[in-house]
Amino acid sequence: MITTLKSFQYFHPNTVEEAVQILNKYGDRAKVLAGGTDLIPSMKRQKIAPQYVVYINDISQLKHIDFGAEEGLRIGALVSHHSIASSSIIREKFQLLAKACNKVGTPHVRRMGTIGGNICMAGPSQDTIPALLVLEAQMKVVSLQGERIIPVDEFFTGPFQTAITGEEIVTEIQIPCPPSDSVADYQWVTKRTVVDETLVGVAALLGMDLDRGVCKGARIALGSVGPKPFRAREAEEIIKGEKLESKLIEAVAQAAAEETKPRSRADYRRREVGLLVKSTLEHLWSQLR
Amino acid sequence: MERELSVVGKRLPRIDAPAKVTGEAKYTVDIKLPGMLFGKVLRSPYAHAMILKIDKSKAEKLPGVEAVITSEDIPVKLFNSGLTDLLVPEEIAKNDPRDQYVLSNKARFVGDAIAAVAARDRKVAEAALDLIEVEYKALPAVFDVVEAMKPGAPKIHDFANGNIARHISFPGAIGDIEKGFQEADVMIEETFNTTKQLHCPLEPSACIASFDSIGRLTVWSPTQLLYLARHKIADIFDIPEGKIRWITPFVGGSFGNALTLRAEPICIALARKTRKPVKLEYSSEEQFIATQSRQPFTIAVKMGVKNDGAITALQGKLTANSGAYYSLSGTTTNVCMAMFATLYRCPNVSVEADIVYTNIPISGGYRGYGNPQAMWALEQVVDVAARRVGMDPVEFRLKNYRRAGDPGWTASLPIESCALEECIKLGMDKIGWREKMGGTKEGVKRRGIGMAIQRHVSGTQPMQMTHSNIMIKMNVDGSADLMVSGCEMGQGMFGVLAQIAAEELGLQIGKIHVVNGDTDETMFDDGQHASRTTYVIGNAIIETARQVKQQLLERASKILATRVDDMYVRDGQIYVRGDLENKISVEDITRRATYNFEGQGRNIAGKCSYVPKGNPPPYSAVFAEVEVDINNGATKLLKIVFAHDIGRAINPTNVEGQLEGGVMHGIGYALTEEYMVNGNNGVVESDSFTNYKIPSTLDMPNVEVIIVEQPTPSGPFGAKSVGECGLNAVAPAIANAIYDATGARVRDLRITPEKILEELSANIL
Amino acid sequence: MSKEIARFTINGRECELLIEPCTSLLEVLRDHLELTGTKSSCGVGECGSCTVLIDNKPQLSCLTLAITVQGKNIVTIEGLASGNNLHPIQQAFVDCGAVQCGFCTPGMILTAKALLDDNPNPSRDEVKEALSGNLCRCTGYVKIVDAVLAAAQIMKKGGA
Repeated sequence: MITTLKSFQYFHPNTVEEAVQILNKYGDRAKVLAGGTDLIPSMKRQKIAPQYVVYINDISQLKHIDFGAEEGLRIGALVSHHSIASSSIIREKFQLLAKACNKVGTPHVRRMGTIGGNICMAGPSQDTIPALLVLEAQMKVVSLQGERIIPVDEFFTGPFQTAITGEEIVTEIQIPCPPSDSVADYQWVTKRTVVDETLVGVAALLGMDLDRGVCKGARIALGSVGPKPFRAREAEEIIKGEKLESKLIEAVAQAAAEETKPRSRADYRRREVGLLVKSTLEHLWSQLR
Repeated sequence: MERELSVVGKRLPRIDAPAKVTGEAKYTVDIKLPGMLFGKVLRSPYAHAMILKIDKSKAEKLPGVEAVITSEDIPVKLFNSGLTDLLVPEEIAKNDPRDQYVLSNKARFVGDAIAAVAARDRKVAEAALDLIEVEYKALPAVFDVVEAMKPGAPKIHDFANGNIARHISFPGAIGDIEKGFQEADVMIEETFNTTKQLHCPLEPSACIASFDSIGRLTVWSPTQLLYLARHKIADIFDIPEGKIRWITPFVGGSFGNALTLRAEPICIALARKTRKPVKLEYSSEEQFIATQSRQPFTIAVKMGVKNDGAITALQGKLTANSGAYYSLSGTTTNVCMAMFATLYRCPNVSVEADIVYTNIPISGGYRGYGNPQAMWALEQVVDVAARRVGMDPVEFRLKNYRRAGDPGWTASLPIESCALEECIKLGMDKIGWREKMGGTKEGVKRRGIGMAIQRHVSGTQPMQMTHSNIMIKMNVDGSADLMVSGCEMGQGMFGVLAQIAAEELGLQIGKIHVVNGDTDETMFDDGQHASRTTYVIGNAIIETARQVKQQLLERASKILATRVDDMYVRDGQIYVRGDLENKISVEDITRRATYNFEGQGRNIAGKCSYVPKGNPPPYSAVFAEVEVDINNGATKLLKIVFAHDIGRAINPTNVEGQLEGGVMHGIGYALTEEYMVNGNNGVVESDSFTNYKIPSTLDMPNVEVIIVEQPTPSGPFGAKSVGECGLNAVAPAIANAIYDATGARVRDLRITPEKILEELSANIL
Repeated sequence: MSKEIARFTINGRECELLIEPCTSLLEVLRDHLELTGTKSSCGVGECGSCTVLIDNKPQLSCLTLAITVQGKNIVTIEGLASGNNLHPIQQAFVDCGAVQCGFCTPGMILTAKALLDDNPNPSRDEVKEALSGNLCRCTGYVKIVDAVLAAAQIMKKGGA
């Protein structure tokens, strides 16, 4: 670990356009700096040593939280976890995202760190990702060549790896309105202490067919139990069109646990996945009924 | 007749607090000297390796680099980095191996110091490290004590066969252990393991060293033992001790981490080489991987018990993991054995220990020394024993504990005082022992309570040489300068000693100015270890203050025309007993003494050398309440009640603060702090606050401290110690509570959910 | 590498410095401005010792490049007291025994100030939550939380 950062050339674009021009020029030799909560430690730990640092936190275009019944939720990439967790619209309509953002780091890190920076780190245990997976978010990504939209399940390609290139920046997270008559939650356990890396994170969204009194469908995403957070599709399948009775919940929990590939503390994590899926589903089902 | 106290016993604000809340307090890392260079250390990436060649030429050529040093540039004198070996005679001290150089010529753990640089700023120094080329030849390494003792294991030090650094038989063994086992109705055999624990002071280790033009060295360093550090440095570098001035600024936490040399020797070596002031600050990562930590022990216990609860035999077989070098492993093991062997009455006791080298970072001294390790084993065995003979664990302890008049650590010094029964009684009431014992046995979340006791020391008498030397001088405004060696590392020494001085001198607290931690200004003291400050230095201050008071009274006696014995000092006034009107101020006396125009001039002052006569042990009783989720094995700590036998609380707020903090270390030891070394390459994975979790605000349960005051005869105003006591018995109290809740007995630290589940499933089968 | 000018307000005073962009705010405060009350411990945002207020919000100065705080208003522990009068939070830390070694204290106090500015009447749990990014190895946090709650009471009565 070094205590002083190695020298770099510094850019501070005020617009997305300026930022992508710089990135286009320097590519992987440049790193984007937003809140600094991940990049600066990585530089001090000598995991990376960028020649160019592009500080984007002054780009005011990327600090919005917009909501419309049609277009859903749009979050600028530079919105902090703290702002998301305290946004009234997000707390009301996307409560699990607020909850997941409130789990990230410490209070200071939540104020400084941005949602865009967080997802670009793409750590297997990052709390925002399971929530975004079940919300079926998509990322707006911009480069000099234009913009593209990447669905969340294509965005994360592996541990600490994403689908974006060094010339691109994430500008916005787009989240469609959840299906009507649906509820969602995020639950987790940490490795050792309250403020700690997540050992297992479970996000789930349940949609209800109120006429038939059954579950129309479910989305379940698991964090910290594989190379990247992922949707437990087989577990989701079991729920479709069913009433969530305790026997079925057990089966779902077991199926979810079987879909995991934890690297360490594997047996315990699997057990915890089962328990957390169960408690999350029970909690959601009790809300729906 | 009990004397009425006006300063001692009061909840006064700490005298160092205003400087600390405003940012004015200076720590070593805050000090800057003109022309100061910055040091950095190159550390081994290998757990065990020969160093074939070091090429420092590229680093030396980097602009701004002033020196690059390796083992060839430094004294070839082996030393023990622990400092307290200086407190026993050489014939005893030499049993502890001297096995370290300032910079190593063979790497014995990942993080071993191999080379160092001094440069004009931190950045150049850090860049220079990358330019030092070291050719290593990796050797097989061993991290586990059992593996290390096997034939054919890699040999870490040439002199240590089987990697056993030292075997120690507890000198206080008594009786016939086999006979004791035969007399027992019930035998308990259990083996426990403890882990390393990291002190995690927030101020990483640092040092500034500066030689002046006549070769006198000044050192600024956050050490707990400044005189001993100076003595050892003088020896290593062959510098006459009078040519070293050692200053200890405020210390940003230590907890025993600074009972060893840390950054000092390398920093001094760099200053000597460059002849310029050098500052060496460890990075946080270095603090985690390259400073010393708590010894891990394996403790195999065999206890024999009669059906009536009497203990007939107690045997302990200990294996301590010293890490790559020996340091304080001997004293820590001795403390562990003594605490283990002497907490309870038992006619047949035997304890043996092996101290074993491995290729992990060095084990040093940590708050409680070996006591937390001993209590982790003993206090669980006692819980098991009590349950086996059908006794309440509290009753079992009350039947067996060694109390006032019994032999303490050594038979030569009987236990002076003991208020454990009162601690237990108050603690039981507070936690609701009788109502809650047995826990809840239904549902997923099971509650239970457990307890443990501990006894500690008030210094090291008679195990080590120990004395305190104090000067007090009066100023003409009636204030006093209290000159005392030592370090204010958060424990509250400044305030506590000032309160004692103020009380004995009859001054207000604001009239005491503590001059501290500078070998040019303060006399010898063995330092801040073994919870000795209040008891030993406190007594030394009382004796010195009495001399000063005598001088004040003698002068007052002439002015007031009253006998010395008929006067007393209070709140800065000298009164004649029974006549409140007949008085003179201390200020008046001191001014007339100093600016004396009758040829009787004198700076009223006192000094004394004090050797402690006793070592009254403080006792504590810790109660824990937990809730365990039997589905996932997660433990929620609901409450800690901590009752402490302090003798007298010089400042109750301070006593509570010491205990609350100690309890936090104990909670971390039990539940959150997990020291991890990669079993393949020896890399310490617990290298940061992310990878080694100390409790935050959200991990702390409700902690209730009960102070039990029964003044001890030899204590200053009756005080015993507190510093280390808070953490010693917390972990076993929690483990016993988990057992009470679930029937799961966790024998190895840290207590993880997995270990609880494993025990639970074993119980079901 | 080229240096750039950083301009900001520090404890009420305008400040202009020529610095390398890789310089952290923590280094600027401690080394360039000699405001050593802000403490450097972990260096990577884990411990909270280096907390300062930037536009009244608690931020980690070890993770902040000084060049990025252009035009902002920074308050360090040295800027909290007015003259010889301690801020009520500072006074409460003194009075409640919340200070031991003192190394976490500046960060704790500044974090507490931001909390009480936002929420003048926090519960004990809210105080613990707000301080959960500030590690202390000495106190067990009991008296720190007590001090923040005591300061809140005093500030409500207009002690600030």
